[in-house]
Amino acid sequence: MAKTTSVLGRSEARSGLMLISPTALYAVLLLAAPLGTVVLYSLLTGGRGVITWDFTLANYIEVWTGPVYRAIMLRSLLVALSVTVVTVAIAYPIAYFVSFHVQPSKKSLWLFLITIPFWTSYLIRVFLWKVILGYNGVINSGLLGIGIIDEPLTWINYNVGALVVTLAHAYAPFAILPIFVALEKIDRSLLEAGQDLGESRLRTFWRVTLPLSMGGVIAATLIVFIPTIGDYVTPDLIGGGKLPMIANLMEVQMLKINNKPLGSAIAVSAMVIVAILSVAFVMVNRRFLGPAK
Amino acid sequence: MSSAKPVPPNSTMIEFRDVHKYYGDYHALRGISGTIRAGEFFSLLGPSGCGKTTLLRTIAGFEGIDGGAVLIDGKDMARVAANKRPTNMVFQSYAIFPHMSVGENVGFGLRRDPRSAAEKARAVEDALEMVGLKGYGARAAHALSGGQRQRVALARALILKPKVLLLDEPLSALDKKMREHMQVELIKLQRQVGITFVLVTHDQEEALVMSDRIAVMFEGEIAQLADPETLYRRPNSKKVADFIGTMNFIPAVVIGETGGQIEVEAKGLGRALLDADQCPAGQGDSPMVGLRPETLTLMYPGQTTTERTVDGVIDEVIYFGDMTYYDVYLGGTDVEVRLSMRNTPGRPILEVGSKVDVAWSASALVLFR
Repeated sequence: MAKTTSVLGRSEARSGLMLISPTALYAVLLLAAPLGTVVLYSLLTGGRGVITWDFTLANYIEVWTGPVYRAIMLRSLLVALSVTVVTVAIAYPIAYFVSFHVQPSKKSLWLFLITIPFWTSYLIRVFLWKVILGYNGVINSGLLGIGIIDEPLTWINYNVGALVVTLAHAYAPFAILPIFVALEKIDRSLLEAGQDLGESRLRTFWRVTLPLSMGGVIAATLIVFIPTIGDYVTPDLIGGGKLPMIANLMEVQMLKINNKPLGSAIAVSAMVIVAILSVAFVMVNRRFLGPAK
Repeated sequence: MSSAKPVPPNSTMIEFRDVHKYYGDYHALRGISGTIRAGEFFSLLGPSGCGKTTLLRTIAGFEGIDGGAVLIDGKDMARVAANKRPTNMVFQSYAIFPHMSVGENVGFGLRRDPRSAAEKARAVEDALEMVGLKGYGARAAHALSGGQRQRVALARALILKPKVLLLDEPLSALDKKMREHMQVELIKLQRQVGITFVLVTHDQEEALVMSDRIAVMFEGEIAQLADPETLYRRPNSKKVADFIGTMNFIPAVVIGETGGQIEVEAKGLGRALLDADQCPAGQGDSPMVGLRPETLTLMYPGQTTTERTVDGVIDEVIYFGDMTYYDVYLGGTDVEVRLSMRNTPGRPILEVGSKVDVAWSASALVLFR
């Protein structure tokens, strides 16, 4: 009996491996291998276009002690955090409205409308914000044309605020959808129960709806925070090159200066920081992620 | 819960005054009037779509009404929001908050209670003990079984000592054994706390077992409001008679009325004199008399009876273990009745085709016309 089980178990394990092998192969070739290469590069000695096989931590020491790297990393974190807060804060009411106040038959239409921005390329959407917010952009020329201002506004372009507006718009659907899903899963009788037990609608929201939708909020936060911190196009186009973020720094090191080991060390460091922050965030909120249905 | 004040008998707790409710064009409640007495176990019984849940929700304040009034303890509830009403509800899905422990669920409504945290914790523990879940306070609510969830929902509502406890098909999600067990527990609990219970159910047996009084509803109207025995023995319409239990309907002709009594001739049974309470107001249908299966008795050879008898032929035998149902053609006619006999020792199960005598009594008849 025991033998049969073990034979069966082995063949089950084998068929299991067979089933996941295409995915596993993909993951190894396209994720693990490049990641390994970057980690390897970061530990080598490099100069302008030259890499020697001398293992060193010098790249990391430079990244973690150099004031420029720290300033840019902090700016990236600040932008990503602002974008995340703004995006989630805007996304929640939209998701709430669609989930609770749109007729069930019209919900798909609303979701479809929310995803329409994805029909245009990310690059074009970012560029359009440049057109809108720029020195000679839509807002400035419009306001000049009707005589409200005498010279173009400068505080709406080439600053962190403009970065946040652009990125928040680009990532809004990513935040709306997980929050919507979390809200949809809430049994509506729970909200009636909250009121039945003496709480107002607002109190019921705080005590029932919000905690039960936190899973979606956490997902939205991570989905927005992780990609925005590594965003590379927006700082370039909207920031006009004056507000580099960590990904722009990597590009400079990797391509322009051609110091791949230093660029790799920046990449690995940024990844570690994002990973630590994300794990810490999830740990802080883990009570919301329990097995509750 | 001995603190519950004894209520004066027959005082009104809930009053419906010509309540109307529309969903768009659909007339869901069509002029509901009636009263629910303080301290009674009241049931709203009817098939799905009859408006019983809607009516319950108008008491809770989850549904507004489009006409009439709902009064609780003498106060018009028109401008009172759900969270301000002296009612609490046990939801059909139980609506246990999945992100909270059992204790947090039960204590949910105590936030504004002026008592100290320790006293509230004690109240939660007492409420859990009352429903048989002592020591469950720290457990995660989502890990409970269906029966336990229901007890938590009960404790959560009763801890607030409402004037009225509303129960929306609370037993429908439980299996048969558990359901029967909870029926008895709910009756005991209701007597213990003395709170008015209003139960919604589509299960006529459940309503008969649990209720002091029942309102039978069809299509947004109350068809009959009475105690279980009256409902069962003297249903006021064919529809109610058909919905509650089994009823044999036999075509009949009204011969005449004499001294408050009505004489009918029922096909296969013959003539009978009925009292006024056996003849509810007419519905305009062709007249029928109704007879419950257990009011008919199969006569075994050698048995005698003071009741009237009619001969018949057994057409079908349905064996239920403790009972046997017989379908019998009466007196050489095409009138078939179902009768039930308890399977006591020494009483054989008769076979299809046997000729039998059936005893019946005019007092068990109800006339529908």
